[in-house]
Amino acid sequence: MEKKQKFPLSGMWHILSVVVIASLLLAACATPTTEAPKPTEAPKPTEAPKPTSATAATAAPAATAAPAATVAPTNPPPPKREAKGGIRKSTSGYKGTLNLWVLGYTPGNAFANPFDNAVAQFMVDNPDIKVEITGYPPNDEGFAKLTTALQSGQGIDLLRLPSDRLPGFVRDDLVEPVDAYLTADDKADILPNVLDVTRLKDGKAFAWPLWVVPMGIYVNKDVFAEAKVDLPPTNWTWDQFVDAAKKTTFKRANGEQVYGFSGFIDPGVVNTWALWMNEDASVLPVTKDLKFGFNNAKAYAGLQRMADLALVHKVTPPDFGSQKDADVKGGFTNKQYAMIVDATGPAAQFLGAKVNFEIYHHPSVNNRRITIGAVGLIAVAKVKDETKRKAAMDLGRYLTSGEVQIDVPPGSNVPTGFYLAPGARKSVKVTAPLDKFIPMLPDMYVTPLIPEWAKLTRLIHPEYQNIVFGKAKPEEAMKRIAAEADKLAATK
Amino acid sequence: MQYIAPTRPISMRRFFEKHGWSYLFVLPSMTTFTIFVLVPVLWAFVISFQKYSIRSGGRWLDPIYDNYVEAFTSLNGIFVISIRNTLVYSAFTVIANIFLGLILSSLIQPLTHRWRTFFRAAYYLPAVTSALIIGMTWAYIYNAQWGFANYILRLVSLPPVRWLSDPDIALASVTLSAVLTIPATAVVLYSAAMGSIPTEFYEAAEIDGANGIQKWWYITVPLIKSTTLYLVVLYTIASFEVFERIYVMVPSGVGNSTQTIVTQIYNNGFKDFNFGVASAQAFVLFVMIATVAALQFRFLQSDVEY
Repeated sequence: MEKKQKFPLSGMWHILSVVVIASLLLAACATPTTEAPKPTEAPKPTEAPKPTSATAATAAPAATAAPAATVAPTNPPPPKREAKGGIRKSTSGYKGTLNLWVLGYTPGNAFANPFDNAVAQFMVDNPDIKVEITGYPPNDEGFAKLTTALQSGQGIDLLRLPSDRLPGFVRDDLVEPVDAYLTADDKADILPNVLDVTRLKDGKAFAWPLWVVPMGIYVNKDVFAEAKVDLPPTNWTWDQFVDAAKKTTFKRANGEQVYGFSGFIDPGVVNTWALWMNEDASVLPVTKDLKFGFNNAKAYAGLQRMADLALVHKVTPPDFGSQKDADVKGGFTNKQYAMIVDATGPAAQFLGAKVNFEIYHHPSVNNRRITIGAVGLIAVAKVKDETKRKAAMDLGRYLTSGEVQIDVPPGSNVPTGFYLAPGARKSVKVTAPLDKFIPMLPDMYVTPLIPEWAKLTRLIHPEYQNIVFGKAKPEEAMKRIAAEADKLAATK
Repeated sequence: MQYIAPTRPISMRRFFEKHGWSYLFVLPSMTTFTIFVLVPVLWAFVISFQKYSIRSGGRWLDPIYDNYVEAFTSLNGIFVISIRNTLVYSAFTVIANIFLGLILSSLIQPLTHRWRTFFRAAYYLPAVTSALIIGMTWAYIYNAQWGFANYILRLVSLPPVRWLSDPDIALASVTLSAVLTIPATAVVLYSAAMGSIPTEFYEAAEIDGANGIQKWWYITVPLIKSTTLYLVVLYTIASFEVFERIYVMVPSGVGNSTQTIVTQIYNNGFKDFNFGVASAQAFVLFVMIATVAALQFRFLQSDVEY
């Protein structure tokens, strides 16, 4: 017979166990306070960095040279909104809700406030229209979420997206052409070559061009000062870039390691590509005749140069290549990285975090300097209701206009104003530090507009990682994927 | 005696008089099972032979097995690598989880009731904690720059390890994280199974002079074989379907070293929206799990009764 033991307090032990488990679970589910980036020291208002001989020799344009431009302006309360009319007023007659999906939007963040403010103004001018914003993250998962919503045809009327995603949506007939809604003023104002980017089928334009988003090199001036390294010249070469990265890779007295350079590498982004694509004009992911353009000697040389940053020069953090985007930006904000490569968007984020930074164009190789990027667009999803479609187009026009920058100026809760990148219209004026990106635009390579772009980057990505990790030679890695990459590049 | 055959309506009535209520009780769960599991599974099987789009529906392929060919050949044959990675991950995690569960439950079994209760509850925590939170925690532990694992290595003057950024060790790191997260279900089920073994067996063994290890090996382990079979099947299925842990710990991947079958299904289904190929890969996974489970039943089956 089984022996039974008596536990007079067994009930109490059960209750205690439940309480302990509940406490631990609550603790686990709580917002992790240790994750929050350490507040960085705000730059002193009068602390203008001394021009070094190098910077003096290659002074940036006057409009962009003022160091004060990178100091966050004081944030007064948002202005009281009142109807202003003009293009803010929709003539559609639509009454109801418009669902706007915004890339990178998380309530309260640098990507959200501009849209929240602009949409608030639009709703004041159009009291019968309610605009609801849904955010999606700028990575593979975010685009999966967006595509699912578009395919289902539910809960999405407008979307902010990068140009490289548009061809797939046009092929699958998920977005509306905008030509019929372009006014004479629009046609005169929108930069024609940017509008042409959206002409993907039968000569029709399929989105409202919002802004042009090149990658730039963010330089943390505090880290350079701490390492006692002069800021490099703005027209720097690759060797000068490597030299700066090496000099700013150091260990602090408290044992904390600082790295000269980092960047986000993921199938969904091309942030680091221009650093090695500048090897030669032939180094393109997709050539003009729709072939894979990374399987050549120049591309191998560029890729090896990139890998050497980690493998030879050792100026990158140990998990460079598989770092999370937040870790890259957080490391820059927290002065753990001297330089990172990123798009225009984080400029507002860094301003908000009072990071003392400068924005540089990419270093040149063989006198060749390029950047890479995409065009930010606002597209209108397939909408059956004509008045709703017209209202969505009106909102798209307003959100890509010069007026929206007037309504959401720098200094409210949006450090750079509405525009997080140089605008796609002549009437849009951006302020510092975004104006630093404007000189880069002529050198910008726009990611190819092919339907299988996402799949092509997923094919390239693991091999690119293997090269950066030192697990594959560029030649063998690119040859492995060349045949399939050629097919994807040519798919229509 | 004359036999009168019952008429059909009477038989049905009797049948429902006897069993009708039980069918009524089963009806809600069978309805939801049919709508949310059975129909989608069968539909996915159909889609695996189609070019499918949410908007335009399905179109039969020619040849009809084209999705299966693409599943194995696209993206430089990554699905084959994923299968290999999944098998490696499963082999280590299943064996380690069973072994750890057995050891831990054996260690807490001799404790007093209150301590057994405490440890069972404590060890069950991982099972009721979100896999995403566990994955995030391990990602912090493994962070090459400021993670706890490298901090420990530095304390003993060892060089830091690129736990999640070296293709040669990333899968091992993920596997280790799965192993070191206490196998909650195994501990609880083994503990319950051990508690139900009659004490007479141990008393008899003691009389025969068996020591603790011998009693454990010759009595405990064989008598919980049915629990072992259940756990092996359970953990095999779970490890074949590993996704959240990898999704959180290495979202950008580490070369192809951390790609598993389900990450490929996810990529094809929800990144490329190639539902046909994703469904084909899902059925390959189904066949693999069914085969492994059948083999496990064949070799671990037990008819122990006590």
